[in-house]
Amino acid sequence: MTRTDWRDHEWRLIHTVPQSPALHMALDDVLTHEVGAGRRPPTLRIWEWASSAVVIGRFQSLRNEVDAQAARRHGIEIVRRISGGGAMFIEPGNTITYSIYAPLSLVKDMSFQEAYAFLDAWVIEALGTLGIKAWYQPLNDITSEAGKIAGAAQVHRGGAVLHHVTMAYDIDAAKMLDVLRIGREKLSDKGTTSAAKRVDPLRSQTGLPREAVIERMIATFRRLYGLRHDVLKPDELTRAQALADGKFSGAEWLGDVA
Amino acid sequence: MHGEYKMPGGKLVVIDLEVREGRIADVQLSGDFFLEPDSALQAINAALEGQATQSTEADLVERMQSALGADVTMYGVSPQAIAIVVGRALHEGTNA
Repeated sequence: MTRTDWRDHEWRLIHTVPQSPALHMALDDVLTHEVGAGRRPPTLRIWEWASSAVVIGRFQSLRNEVDAQAARRHGIEIVRRISGGGAMFIEPGNTITYSIYAPLSLVKDMSFQEAYAFLDAWVIEALGTLGIKAWYQPLNDITSEAGKIAGAAQVHRGGAVLHHVTMAYDIDAAKMLDVLRIGREKLSDKGTTSAAKRVDPLRSQTGLPREAVIERMIATFRRLYGLRHDVLKPDELTRAQALADGKFSGAEWLGDVA
Repeated sequence: MHGEYKMPGGKLVVIDLEVREGRIADVQLSGDFFLEPDSALQAINAALEGQATQSTEADLVERMQSALGADVTMYGVSPQAIAIVVGRALHEGTNA
């Protein structure tokens, strides 16, 4: 396998109607598999959320990370994703989330650190055109002078890498702190004592509607690498729906790390 | 018992465990780190299960390294960081 570049691939865009948190988890599973098997071209998927959610990382403890009672009280669904990394607090209008499904050749011989920065370089550029001087903060954050903007996670499956990112467009910090348990140890080397201060939303930094930020991101990806509109194939959606209704809604997967 | 350790330059590493007859039991490693393949999590838990609470960090590191296949990759976590958090749970842990 030789290293490929972005322009060696015919990138597809999937940006569809709002979908449930469990279906998003399942689509990442199915589409990574499809790209790895060579049945789908490399794809950028922009997520639209149908409801609020806490998305915990593959290796996070459910009870250590989430106050389940508070989540229920706020009507927030808890799901576990297939990649590692930290918990995301999602409210539909406040979050910009995307996934990149790419052949492993795109990140061949890169360190993890290089691969994270490489797969988000287009976002740093898009933010730059919106007046935000952002940079990659290893291991897996996009940040600016004003604070953290986004968190990324990768997982390798078969012949593909899944790279997905959640960006804070706006945030209800009080609600987030009500639902997520963010311990003192986690903040010990971050130079701040307030979890709310760790995330600075795009809304305050751009003054633009969420949709305009997404449009600029898509336009930047298209300009740099090429991008064609696509839709989910019926069998992709069928398989993802089955996983969403089964594995990703089930207590076994959610509680796999209790 | 419960311990947490933010690995410098890495991620949060958390351990929950019990002690029975001087040995580590019911180990659950967790955190916001990255492990490939994901089955490595259970392999690490199994490697720590039954180890003497008197084990040194070096003992535990060696135990984990010998239990993990060459295909396992870690990002934001390491056997050393896991050994440290086990020590924290055993020696300064809370009964959460």
